[in-house]
Amino acid sequence: MSQQRMDADTAETLAGVVRLLRRAAELVWEAVDAEDAGSARQLLGLGIDLAADEARNVLPDAMPIDGPAPVGDEPTSLLRSAEQLLRRVTIPGAGTGLYGLRAQVADLVWEANTDVGG
Amino acid sequence: MSAADHRTVGELLADSDELARESLLDATPDHAPAMVRSWNQLVGSAAEVWAVWPSAPDDPSGLDPMERLRAVGEAIGRSVTAGHWPGQGATDERLTQIADNLSRARHLIGSHGRHSQQATPEMQRGIQDLHGEVMHTLYVAAHGTAVALGAHVTDLRHRLAAGERRRQRLAERPTALEITAAQDMIVRFDGFEQLAGAYLFGLPPTTANPDQVRGAVRATQLETALAAWDVQAHRTLASNPDPADLVRVARVQALITSTAGVLTEAAVRKGHIDKDIMQRFAPVLEANQVAWSRAAKRWGELTNPASRTNIALVGAAGEVRAAIAATATNPTGWATADQLASRVALPEMVKILHLSMVASIEIAYVVRDTAADHPGLTAPARIIGMRAQGEAEIAIEQGETRYEGVTWTTPRQIAANQLIPLPEPARRGRINFANDVIATTNHAVAAAAQLHPSDPKGSNRSGHEAHRGRSSEARQIARRHDPAPRGPRI
Repeated sequence: MSQQRMDADTAETLAGVVRLLRRAAELVWEAVDAEDAGSARQLLGLGIDLAADEARNVLPDAMPIDGPAPVGDEPTSLLRSAEQLLRRVTIPGAGTGLYGLRAQVADLVWEANTDVGG
Repeated sequence: MSAADHRTVGELLADSDELARESLLDATPDHAPAMVRSWNQLVGSAAEVWAVWPSAPDDPSGLDPMERLRAVGEAIGRSVTAGHWPGQGATDERLTQIADNLSRARHLIGSHGRHSQQATPEMQRGIQDLHGEVMHTLYVAAHGTAVALGAHVTDLRHRLAAGERRRQRLAERPTALEITAAQDMIVRFDGFEQLAGAYLFGLPPTTANPDQVRGAVRATQLETALAAWDVQAHRTLASNPDPADLVRVARVQALITSTAGVLTEAAVRKGHIDKDIMQRFAPVLEANQVAWSRAAKRWGELTNPASRTNIALVGAAGEVRAAIAATATNPTGWATADQLASRVALPEMVKILHLSMVASIEIAYVVRDTAADHPGLTAPARIIGMRAQGEAEIAIEQGETRYEGVTWTTPRQIAANQLIPLPEPARRGRINFANDVIATTNHAVAAAAQLHPSDPKGSNRSGHEAHRGRSSEARQIARRHDPAPRGPRI
């Protein structure tokens, strides 16, 4: 994914996606910790972590990720917000990377809804 | 390598195997440190000669089993270079000679050109035999090193006890730390040996039953993902990882452990594994899962908003996650025993996951080395100042005086929550968490060995107790020309 062509708005939107995904993962891992060892919800937690990693790796090093903490304590709604933000992002020359990330987050919304690991 | 060396490739490999057998039969306490120091060079030479021959085209996983072993060899080499036991010193003559033989063989093959990718079936069989010979040499040499290490530990214990009785000066006695370090090295060589053995003895066994084809495909996907993960985790950890990388490694390992539990439980329900054995296995597996999860949380404290995970590690973790999801889950959680039995051959799948746990021992050691040696570890001041103080207080209670009156952060660092270098007590805390992971993984692997009584080496092989009486076992190891060590079966 080309980083040179990323404008400030796009970068800020993607940083928001990273924050949303990280917060959603945090909430899922809290739920995993509260359950018995071996919870299948680990799959969802790891999936969100990996999506956050992908989104983070799209952004240049110089781009600060810090920003307002996402509001909400429902992983599903945070994931939906991340998915909606990703729909708004267009990066010329982004190739399959961004589409892959969108699909990944959409799958995670479905997983969180159907409670895989629940 | 002598200029007058006229040995053929076959003779060089045969000599190497013979040297490995000699090193096993002659494994004495004094040899152990030098054998450990020579290990990385030996595995490196084996990997190079292995790579000259193309992999068997019918290998369903498309994996290179040597890659996994090379990663382990390099990890042991890095540990020694970093100054961990046995540290720098003399190398082992026999293992060095084997490495030289293998390098010479690679040179000879290279000078006659690489084999064509369109090798005939007859050539492929020859390649499989050659691969089998190289792997067997490593297998026997690893076993020999573990036997020598076992004898070395016994010797150190004896010298320590005798030194205490005779009131020798402390500097003249071995230390308890030295004994622990040698025991840890036994575990690492045991893991290596089991990985090499899995190749030699075929895992999982091939099946001609067409009804199992779909299950075999799933098993292969998971096996491929796990092996690739193992190699990538080593690669990432070898290059000054970000704490975020360590979090992912620990989370994936915890998931693998949970999956092993689910599939083993299903195998019990379907009558493949004895219920009583599972009752012993389940708690140790759970303890291991919890240890990995706790380690993940603690490493997570070192991350900051700018943290970035290695992209190749993310890819490998994604493959593991996808393979586990496809194999072991349904839309509401873990699949039932009936669903799992209809999807995969449970005994084979259980073996694949347990082999992955064997490999995870080495990952746990590398994580510990990272906690001990990584020069660039930093953490946000607030959380790490608190953790460092907590660890320091525990250490002070245990008699550590260096931490008394020390403050780990400045008010300014706390106010700005600056990233600061990891204070020593906080580093110590990460090492302790890694030690918990190592201990619980060892217990889990030892318990898992009881699940497969028909395995060629299916006894308790990873616990320290396993090394009692290894000398007699050493003489039972398969010879190079025994039927078992054949080419790729995975």
